[in-house]
Parts: sequence; structure tokens; C-alpha cells
Amino acid sequence: MVIVRRKELSLSERLYLPEIVRGLSITFRKLFEKPITRQYPEEPLPKNEVTRGQPRLVVKDDGNIACVSCGMCEVACPAYAITIDGGETDRPIEREPKKFEIDMLRCILCGFCEEACPKDAIFMSDELELADYSRASLIYDLQKLKRPKSALQKRIDYVYRLNNRWRKSSSTS
Amino acid sequence: MTKITVNGREIDADPKKPLIAACHEHGVEVPMYCYHPGLRPVGSCRICQVEVKQGDTPARVVAACRTPIAEGMVVNTESPKAHDVRRECLEFLLKNHPLDCPICDKAGECDLQDYSFAEGQTKGRTHEPRRKLEKRKSLGDVIVLDEERCILCSRCVRFFEDVTKQPQLTVSDLGSRSVIATFMDKPLKGNYQGNIADICPVGALTLKRFRFQARVWNLNKHLSTCAECSRGCSVTAEVLRGGETKRFRPRFNPKVNQWWMCDTGRFAFEHVNAADRLVATRRGAEGLAACDLDEALDGAAKSLRGKSNVALVLSPFATNEEAAAAKALASTLGAKTCFVSPTPNALKDDFLHTGDPCPNRRGLTDLGFAGLAADDAAKAIGGASVVVFVGERVLELFGAERLAALANARVVVFDTHAANAPAVDVCIGVPVHVEKNGHWTNVDGHLGRLTIARSAPRGVRALEENLTRLGQLVSPTGAKA
Repeated sequence: MVIVRRKELSLSERLYLPEIVRGLSITFRKLFEKPITRQYPEEPLPKNEVTRGQPRLVVKDDGNIACVSCGMCEVACPAYAITIDGGETDRPIEREPKKFEIDMLRCILCGFCEEACPKDAIFMSDELELADYSRASLIYDLQKLKRPKSALQKRIDYVYRLNNRWRKSSSTS
Repeated sequence: MTKITVNGREIDADPKKPLIAACHEHGVEVPMYCYHPGLRPVGSCRICQVEVKQGDTPARVVAACRTPIAEGMVVNTESPKAHDVRRECLEFLLKNHPLDCPICDKAGECDLQDYSFAEGQTKGRTHEPRRKLEKRKSLGDVIVLDEERCILCSRCVRFFEDVTKQPQLTVSDLGSRSVIATFMDKPLKGNYQGNIADICPVGALTLKRFRFQARVWNLNKHLSTCAECSRGCSVTAEVLRGGETKRFRPRFNPKVNQWWMCDTGRFAFEHVNAADRLVATRRGAEGLAACDLDEALDGAAKSLRGKSNVALVLSPFATNEEAAAAKALASTLGAKTCFVSPTPNALKDDFLHTGDPCPNRRGLTDLGFAGLAADDAAKAIGGASVVVFVGERVLELFGAERLAALANARVVVFDTHAANAPAVDVCIGVPVHVEKNGHWTNVDGHLGRLTIARSAPRGVRALEENLTRLGQLVSPTGAKA
């Protein structure tokens, strides 16, 4: 047991008014200073290339999705958040996802999918906000996951710099 | 039997089989691509090389698939020399093999992938571009050939030569330009083409129907039996994430189908994947309406209670267990029984397909059910006051028009899909053959086992259970009603 003894108040403190004046003076001084808070979400935080947000799928510059639905991210995902069903396409790569779902409620934003992907098709974007009114709408499908490559370029460049095992001539470039 | 020593262990080997078969039979792993136990060995891939010492001669590295067993052979499959030779062979096989694993259907069950993961090097030593060949060459309705992936093991060539005895494929051209081809690029014929996709050790031959449908590690594999003919080939039912059946593959059974199965059975998943499965419906004031299982069974019991002239029509797909339960119910009801026997089709051949699309004819006949064609069955149950249809697809085989003609009888149905004839009182759902445990007796009397590859739709219970319960509801004492 700890006995906390209150500090004896001084005379000016006991008089009450001087302390009120002192407190209000701080309040008024801060009123004219630059605020240290931020008007989130209207004023978003600055994001840098290291930001590891939600996974997104790369749409290449020719308009095709880079994913070939090989299932590596599905296997790597420790939270079993990813479900992929593949199908045939006429493009030379032969295979593309027909269904690609990430359950964002399960996703733990670990970035294993990004690491596992052999085709540079999935990257952790700088999108962080994740709120909605229903569970079903947080299971993101292909349409919700597709992002043009330019939107993810900052992260792609960062990952490439980080891993020198990834060569400059990648399949998505 | 001949005594040989493999990795320091003395084993009894069958001298009629090659050395690799003896190794495999005794649990010694030797990789193989061109060798297949069901085909004649050719020794073209050289990946099965092992070190063999015989008598006083120095040890030599030989291909285990082309080496006959000899008395006193001393085999070492794990010697550094054997490993080196195999690794070099693998390097040559991988020299032109494309890095297609992410899009290859074989990935996950590929012998080349497995062995190069275990033994191969992580980097290629060549800088020359790989062979560019046709990636999507159609070989008929069943098979697509990817020429780049092919390692020219010639298993597919030998399958048509040795097993179906209708040679159709060959290795054409020479040297590095060799490809698998048919004569004049004609499509493949026959009902056994799918097998070459199974035995292909790489992803060169793939099934059109399975192409890019699923990654193989997402398939739950359960042993099952083919439902397409009375041969009852042992198969594996492969189910994607517990839902849709994606493929049937033959399962080795020396007494029935060896390693093979026909394409009819391989692609017979239309019925097992059918949508709109019945759970239970019962006739109320507004016709047939969905209800729960207990209500439906009560309704069925009400229709049957006190009726004397009852007939029970069984599905040819009923398992022995279901047929036994149906027989017990029939004796409780005093019902006359038969099973609908579908007409033989023209698919009969002298290899596997019997042409009789009734997988359990022998089992049902042994249990005392008479197989009647749909017309004869309709005649046989003509005067009955209540008819009970039991088993998956029984109504489909009996025919909707014959069911509609049963105007004077009340009808109780156990089937996968509901019927909407005016005579029908109650419909109760049953599991399809990949959703139940049981046995079928094939044409030669071998039992084919069915296991639950995926769960039946919610609310559907095993047919045996429902039949037994119905019997108890009709006659609680078990006496004849």
C-alpha cells in the first residue's frame, strides 16, 4: 500500500484567483501559436515510401493486371486473408486471376504477399484507412484492389532498392 | 526372388522387374521421369541413375530403370557419385525448361520441380536463351501440349503404344528440336487421353478442362470410386477448398484399373457439382414448399402409414449400405422393390469402360434388387398406391414423364433435386457420391470405396439414416406396417 500525501498549497494557490489567471494566460498564449494537432482526415498525414499500408494489385501500363494467380501470396499469407481463383487468358502469360479476394479484416498488413510475389504484382500501398459499415464490404475484390502502377511506384522503387536480389528488369517494367 | 543389397540393406527383389521397381517397393527413393511402373522402361531421362557394384568389377553408375536384377548386386543410391551424375542430368533437363512454375498447373505435384528443389542448383550456368516453342498446342479435345515444358520422357508416347495399343503420339524431329507430336497434327482420339496428363512428369500435357482451374495444393484429395460405369475405377476426388469438385484422377488399384481411367469418368463432375440441391420439401396448401428434414420425414411417414400396396424404386448409384437400408425399409413397408437400370451406352471398350452406366449393379443385384429399365420399372410399380424413389439421380433416370404418369399413386422422393409432379408429396435431399461414405461392388465383385470428399449441403443427412428413421416413424415396433 502506498500513501500519497497531497502537497500543501501555497498562499497564492489558496487564494484561487492568481492561479486562474496564470492558467488562462497559457490558454490565450497557445491560441495565437501554430497548432500542433492536425485536422485528420481532411488533412492526411504525410506518407513516405516506407509506409506499409494495405496490399494492392499492380495494373501494368498496358492496362493488364500483373498477377498470374500463381497462389504464392495465398500460401505465404499467415492470416489466410487471400483467396485466388485463376483462369485462362489469351495474353502470352496464359493465366490471370478471375477472382482475387483479400479479406481486409483478416489482413495483418505484414507484407509477406509482397515478398512472395514472383511477378511484382502485389505491393503494400500507402493506403491506411480501413473503416466501413459491413464485414462483407471489407472483403476486397479485384476491382477494389487494382491500382495503376504509377500509384504504387514509390513503394516499388523502395522495395527494389531494399532487395538487391530483385533485378532492374522485372516482369512489370 | 533374387537377393540384392540396396544401401547396405539386403532385399528380396523380383527379377522380372527393373532395379528401380525393387528400390521403390522397399522404400528406397530413386527419382524418375521417364520410368512409370505401368509402362515399358526406356531409360531416356537418366535421372534414376544409381551406383551398382557387381562381382569384382568396379562400381558403375547405371540407369536403375533399365538395369535388370542380378543375384548379389550391391546398389548404392545415395553415393556421392550417383548424386553428382543425377544432378548433372537434372541440369541438362532444366537447361531448356521454362520458369513457368507460377502459371504451370503441374506446380506442386511436379516431379521435376520436387527433385530440382531437393537436389538442383539455384542458378543456371548458361546464358543462352531457352528454346522457344509452341506454348498452347491443342492435341484434341482433352489435352493441351506445352512444347517448351516437355522433357521428352516419352511416357505419353508409350502410354498409347503399350496401354491402349493405339499409337498416336511420337517424338518428332531430332536433337534439340525434338517435340512430341501427332501424325500431321491430327487430334488425339480415344477415351483414355486424359491419362497422359496424369503421367506427364512435368506440366507439358495438361487437361483442357482443368487448365488453370486450381492450384493443386488447394485441392482436398479424398479416395473415391468412379460413378460412370460398372468397372468402378478407384479414383481420387479432388475438391477445391471443400466446394467444387475440380477433377477425378485414377488411383492405383492393381485389381481394377491399375493406374488408368477413362475420360468419361475423369470429367464426370457435372452432376456432383450441380447447383440448387434439394434439402427437403413437403406438399402443403400451396403445393411443394421447403421445410426442415424432420417435417419432411413426418410427411413421408404419413403418406406411407397403413398403406399396403407400396413400391420402392432404388437408384443405380445407391451404395451397398444405402441399398441395405432401403431393403430394410421395404420389408417394413411390405414394398416390392427394383432399381432403375440405365441403358448400356456405346462407350464400351476392351480396356476399362464396361458400357454399363450403373456403378453398383452387382452390389444391388446381390442384395436382391432387380434391375429394370425405366419403362419396365414404371410398369412394375404400376398398381402401387405409394411409390418411394430412393437415391441420387433416381428421378432423372426414371424420367419426368413417367413420374407424371403415376397419377394414381402418391410419391415420396429421396433425390438430389426436387421433383414437381402433382403426385409428389415429399422430397428429401440426399448426398451425391462424393459426399458420402459407402461401397459399390464392381462388375468383377471388387468393393470400391467412397469417402466424404466434401460435406453435403447444410441440412442434408446420409440416406441410410433417413431411410432408417422413416422406417421407425412408419412402424415404431419394426413390425410390418
